[in-house]
Amino acid sequence: MSKKFLTRFPQFLLVVFVVSITMGGLSSCKSNKKLARDKAAAAYAAKVQQAKTDLTAMLNGTTQWTLDEQLKRLDVIKSYNIDDQEVKDLIVKVENKLDAAKAETARKAEEKRLREAEAAKKQAEQARFANIDRNLENIARSNSYDEANQKIAAALRLFATPDVPVLIIISQAEGFNDYDRPTTASKFLNYLKDQKAYRYRVESVKKDENGKITELELLKK
Amino acid sequence: MKNLIYSILFVLGIFMVLPVSAQDNLSPDRKQAVDSLALEKVRDLSKYITIIGSKGTPWSEANRVIDRAEELFMQGSEIGVSSLLRPKIAYYGVRQYFERLMRLNYNKVEIEWYKIDYVSDLQRQPDGTFVGVITVFQKFKGYDKEGRLIYQDTTKKDITVYVKRKETQIGGRLIGFWDVLLGDIRVKETSK
Repeated sequence: MSKKFLTRFPQFLLVVFVVSITMGGLSSCKSNKKLARDKAAAAYAAKVQQAKTDLTAMLNGTTQWTLDEQLKRLDVIKSYNIDDQEVKDLIVKVENKLDAAKAETARKAEEKRLREAEAAKKQAEQARFANIDRNLENIARSNSYDEANQKIAAALRLFATPDVPVLIIISQAEGFNDYDRPTTASKFLNYLKDQKAYRYRVESVKKDENGKITELELLKK
Repeated sequence: MKNLIYSILFVLGIFMVLPVSAQDNLSPDRKQAVDSLALEKVRDLSKYITIIGSKGTPWSEANRVIDRAEELFMQGSEIGVSSLLRPKIAYYGVRQYFERLMRLNYNKVEIEWYKIDYVSDLQRQPDGTFVGVITVFQKFKGYDKEGRLIYQDTTKKDITVYVKRKETQIGGRLIGFWDVLLGDIRVKETSK
């Protein structure tokens, strides 16, 4: 070995060392990036899988989430903009299903509101008709013909004429009224006297401009 | 031409049958309401008979009640009258029966109807009328001036009931109602 080589050997070692370090560092950086890419791909795949699972559960109705929770989850999944045909199809189906459920919920809420309003109206009307009910019940409770006839005469003053129609509802099944044969105020009041029982409640009353009853509708209890 | 006539007749036939079919589909709830209505008419009659027969009923009231009772019946209906004292059952027109009942030759009369129930359920007939038979038991007691029971019997009677859906206009509204009419009252058995 020449003396020249021996004097430059440490410099040579340094160059080899620097090249090795540089090459090693480059290779390590390259593998870190790949790792990160793989990690991101795995996370995305998991996100897609979770989206499919959640959407399928919502579609099949097997989730425990409320409708609001499902709508929020659907919005989150849509915000991912997942480029997967299966997810896109599921989003459309779930969207349709949740829209229908939303409409159904709104319909039920409206029905409930109307029912409650109707019940409140009925209750208010019944309170308004309590006086008529009391008059009719008192006739049925009379102890003698004279007493009953006096009460009938008083009650008839509430009516426009003794021939005012009295309608008796015997059934309200299937959303419409079935009636007994229509009668008149006079006949009905005498009927209460004869039968000694009042098994009705006033359902509706029509009055004229003088406040006299022109039509009485009763519901059989 | 012949085919056209047949077609018109067929369509007309369908329109004639449709309302009847609608009645066929009476829901159990509505049918029960109609059944109860017919039973109630018989109970009303029972009360009227007690009032008419009672010697304590003022004459004017009895006559008014006869009018109401008569309205419960189909025109031309008959009511059977039996007695333990004679084998033959006599049949009277409704009004005549009530007038006789009002003038019975007792000082006091007690009439009670019980076990009022269907023996044959209301069945729809081809013309849309529902027809059924209700059985009642009548306990009759007649007393003399001294308050002694001088005659009593128990009679089993069958009452035919007819129920028909009708419509009428009231206050500009079309009202669909069930018209219940009683038919003949036949005596089935009479015992002490």
